Amino acid sequence: MSTTGYFDNPWALKIDLMLRGVRVVDPLAKAWACGTTGIDMLLPEETLVNIPCREEFTEHSPYELRRRGECHYITDGTEEAAAEILPVPEFYSRKTTTGVPFGDIAVVHGSYTVITPSPKCDFFDTDSACRYCTIIPDGTGEPKRDFTVEEVLEAVGAVLKEGLSKIIYLSVGFTDGDDGGIEFLEPYIRAIKKHHSCLVAVEALPPKKNRWIDRTYALGADSILYNMGIYDPELFEVICPGRAELVGRQRYLDALKYAVGIFPNGTVASHLIVGLEPPGSTRIGIDCLTKMGVVPILPIYRPRPGRALRIEPLTTEIIIPVFKHLYTTVKKSGVNFKWVRDISMVTTPAEASMLMEGAAGELTPLKNFYSSRFGLKAAWGLSTIRRKLRVKNTEA
Amino acid sequence: MKVEIDTRSIWVLLAIKALRPLFFILVAIGFWAVTTMEPAEGLTPSGQRAIGIFLLCLVLWVSNMVPVAITSLLAIVLVPLLGIVPKSETYALFGNEAVFFILGAFILAGAVMHSGLSNRIALVMMRRYGHSPRRLLVSIFLLAAVLSFFMSEHAVAAMLLPIALDISKALGLRPGRSNYGKLLFFALAWGSVIGGVATFLGGARVPLALGILEETTDSTIGFIEYTVAVFPLVVVLLIVGYLVLTRIFPVDIPDVAKAMGVIEKRAKGLGKLRYSEYAVGTVMLLTIVAWSTLGHTIGLSTVSLIAVAVLFVFRLVRWKNIEEYVNWGIILMYGGAIILGSALDKSGAARWIVESAISDWATTPWAVFAVFSFLAIALTESMSNAAVIAVLVPVSIGMSDNLGLDPALLTYAIAVPAGLAFMLPMSTPANAIAVSSGYVTVKDMVKGGFIMFVTAWIVFNLVAAFYWPLIGLGGLGR
Repeated sequence: MSTTGYFDNPWALKIDLMLRGVRVVDPLAKAWACGTTGIDMLLPEETLVNIPCREEFTEHSPYELRRRGECHYITDGTEEAAAEILPVPEFYSRKTTTGVPFGDIAVVHGSYTVITPSPKCDFFDTDSACRYCTIIPDGTGEPKRDFTVEEVLEAVGAVLKEGLSKIIYLSVGFTDGDDGGIEFLEPYIRAIKKHHSCLVAVEALPPKKNRWIDRTYALGADSILYNMGIYDPELFEVICPGRAELVGRQRYLDALKYAVGIFPNGTVASHLIVGLEPPGSTRIGIDCLTKMGVVPILPIYRPRPGRALRIEPLTTEIIIPVFKHLYTTVKKSGVNFKWVRDISMVTTPAEASMLMEGAAGELTPLKNFYSSRFGLKAAWGLSTIRRKLRVKNTEA
Repeated sequence: MKVEIDTRSIWVLLAIKALRPLFFILVAIGFWAVTTMEPAEGLTPSGQRAIGIFLLCLVLWVSNMVPVAITSLLAIVLVPLLGIVPKSETYALFGNEAVFFILGAFILAGAVMHSGLSNRIALVMMRRYGHSPRRLLVSIFLLAAVLSFFMSEHAVAAMLLPIALDISKALGLRPGRSNYGKLLFFALAWGSVIGGVATFLGGARVPLALGILEETTDSTIGFIEYTVAVFPLVVVLLIVGYLVLTRIFPVDIPDVAKAMGVIEKRAKGLGKLRYSEYAVGTVMLLTIVAWSTLGHTIGLSTVSLIAVAVLFVFRLVRWKNIEEYVNWGIILMYGGAIILGSALDKSGAARWIVESAISDWATTPWAVFAVFSFLAIALTESMSNAAVIAVLVPVSIGMSDNLGLDPALLTYAIAVPAGLAFMLPMSTPANAIAVSSGYVTVKDMVKGGFIMFVTAWIVFNLVAAFYWPLIGLGGLGR
């Protein structure tokens, strides 16, 4: 279990930590991670990462999170790196006027706050569910209700007031229909755009008709994600049977291609999960998506007990070249990847650039601008102007 | 909500967006330059400013960058603001008879349409005379023309559109391909256009011209006098229009049995003639008689407004039913145009324009008549026909003084051709309606419209030369 060299480059360390997780001994850190998908930390050079710490596989991780005085650090026993645990957002402890904890509605992951207004996905608890899906029904048997627009608005207000995130990321599960979930999200997008000056990213299923993509943009979505997850056609069918049957891999590609023509350069993205298919296949996926103008984003698969989907062997030595390939391909293609900001759960092309020798210095000033308050305002303003120029309401 | 995303380059979109503010900046600079420069010889400072407003309105009317009514409101504001005509006098001009005549005409036409009478007349005429393709075509053509004698040509075209669409569908005519489909919609559009010039009621153009004429001179034109003068032109254009259409687009269907079924069904759906239709029809007939006999003494607008009052006294219509038929934009536009015309006249600007720009080459009455009629018929293809009146009539009236011409004659020279727009969908709503059906293309309209454009101008001048002297409308030959 070598960790050689990763302590020298926090971006490589991020990938290794995401792959192997961390053992948490410190009770404070344990308390942080309680009930969450992982622990959000800031490594050196402001490298944001969400590190798995509760999953079974993390028990064998060479990394341990320790505390020295008030400071935390990650160590493999020989080397160490400073690691700041991000404070738990203050708004998590508050509730909406209807009594729903804000933390149930909105989850902060770095620059993005993820909101899933409906807990439903037609695939849950069926054979059609994506095999890697980490969402587990709560087991109470009671159907969870959708959050109302007002509740979501309150949560967004709390997030923005606390200044934690710059982008609201709305996601929706699968429902059988033409719209890919946009009709459901429409009132939420409209309300957020009406009341707040923030960017909105939407993760949905590819709609059957392209007009829904037009509509998504017209409603106010600044970025769209149709997450393929897996590029390999056969593995896609095996691992995502429901999506393969009811949406189809080709529809993902077609919808992404169409969306590139509608949304600004660099705002159409798709996840390819590293570890669910051979690295070569992920590379081909990166090439294909990038050629279309789509920004590939690479999360790393986190195995759950009883779901041994991970390809083996999977090591950081094997996957770092995939991330390097991501950066070089995206950069060469001219796709603007700079607006895809820091997300603790995934590694973006901009972050992958930090794995390249000499690239870090080149990107830091730009990164600083794009993630600054002014950069955010500029992005919001440009996005709004662009939408005003492009969208024509042909029928009320 | 149906949306469309414009995927052209963002720079192209920005450039397009920038055009509008740039246009207004240039217009504002131009207006400022014209109104502040040293007045030309023979032109008073207020005349100079009146010309500035005139040019501003001309640019805005032609470009359609703001609604025509708003341009007129701008004129109403600028005339007193620049000290050309006092404020109280300016706003009083808005109370011109023509404005109230137009208002009355809109309400009367609205009442006729709302009662269903016009629809009934259309269906009855088609059922009775339209038993073959040619006869059905002639029925629609003449019906559109005759109805436009009594109500706005735009309203007639809009009213006949659903009937023509139903007939086309029943006959299985293919949009853009079928000659007969084209013929039906051309008949609807051109019939309305040609019929619309026959009386004061076909459009608000003639009342507007009359308003400007009365406001700036002692002359006027009577309801019957106008119709008698123009009627031969209408007849000739209807004949020529039919021949042109059937030559360019030969009838390509053997019979219209299916269309008759549709007409029959629609006619049956109307039921028997209702009291409101009888009553509105009677009021309309009496109004026309009153316009013809009492128009000169008590005024056309007075007759219109009395008729309107009668409609409401007998509860033949309700205000909420009529509101949608009253085009307030046009009423505002006319009020502004009359004020602008008056400003040009009172400031001496109209006379100066004539003397300095036109008098050198337009030395004979005939040349002036031909040039103004040509300008009117050409300009109306690309701008609102009311705007053509507003721009040309004040200038022509100034010219008539110079040549010792009856200003009413030049008013005819502009008011009649200004209604004869055949070539483009933007020329008049009737043409736009025809193109919107999908059966008539812009190319079709330009092709046939150009022949009509030339024919109408020549025939109008021939009628003026040979027919008008016979009815005592002489003076051009002096």
